[in-house]
Amino acid sequence: MAEKLKVLGAAGGAVGLGGFAAALGLCCSVPWAVALLGVSGAIAFARLAFLVPYALVGAAVFLGFGFWLAYRKPACADGACPPQPPRMLRGIIWSTAAVVVALGATGVCLRMAA
Amino acid sequence: MRYVNVLLAFVTPFAVAPFGTASAADAAAASGYTVLRDDFAQLRADFNQAKGSVRLLFVVDPICPGCLRGMDDMNEDLLSQTRDPRLKTFVVHVPVIGAKAKDVMPAARLLENPQVRNYWNASGEFGRALARAVQLKNDKETVYAWDVWLLYGPDAEWTDTAIPQPELLMHQLWKLEGTKFPKLDSAAFAGEVHNRLQALPASTVTSG
Repeated sequence: MAEKLKVLGAAGGAVGLGGFAAALGLCCSVPWAVALLGVSGAIAFARLAFLVPYALVGAAVFLGFGFWLAYRKPACADGACPPQPPRMLRGIIWSTAAVVVALGATGVCLRMAA
Repeated sequence: MRYVNVLLAFVTPFAVAPFGTASAADAAAASGYTVLRDDFAQLRADFNQAKGSVRLLFVVDPICPGCLRGMDDMNEDLLSQTRDPRLKTFVVHVPVIGAKAKDVMPAARLLENPQVRNYWNASGEFGRALARAVQLKNDKETVYAWDVWLLYGPDAEWTDTAIPQPELLMHQLWKLEGTKFPKLDSAAFAGEVHNRLQALPASTVTSG
């Protein structure tokens, strides 16, 4: 159970940071940023654009941690080996990776287009 | 102050509405900007009239957050710090990501200086013409001129045939990374402006 929570936490962190990067990319290249946030809000968001690469690195670290949790082989002690992490966790982390790659690509592409 | 500006942005269209027979150009003038036709005649006339002063030309999309950030930086580092009549600023607003004329004034209010004039070029042709004139290129293509910040000395003159070459051009365009054009550094830009102002005699320019 604790293992599952850790994987879910890592996946959530990765998706959150990937979403943050995508939002920053969106902010600086779509027409509705000013309508949504106002001039001052759009400026404030634009000032955060430098965080995109850091957010992507953070998302990658979370993903890496998630993969490590999902695929690691538990150490055996006294001849007894704990069970492998359930396959479901691997499914979660692979799905998360797909979402994060999509979000990251969105953020980077939109930022480069601006 | 910003909240007052935002309120004015909402109120102004309603205040102008009763005089609905006025042309778009009249409405624009009443709002504080000039509609720029594709011959750029008005901007050229204003630019040349200010010969003898240090002139700045900014080209922005008024709903592009990066451009707005650039304007805010320019205001903080330069334009809000001076009332020098020998410094004239021309801001051309172009619709790159979908701006409309109504977006011009909220952006224009970021620049707190009485010597700033705003123009709205609805076709966006000015960005193409400026890109051609200043050879705004990377190694593959000519890059449309927006989010660019140009500095002209007192001798620059806009002839019938060409937009003059600036003494300094800064940008915030990813497509120009690694080219000879530096990225916008508003503090450095302000330093260049102050250097040129110091070199000018005190009485070269009349207000206007």
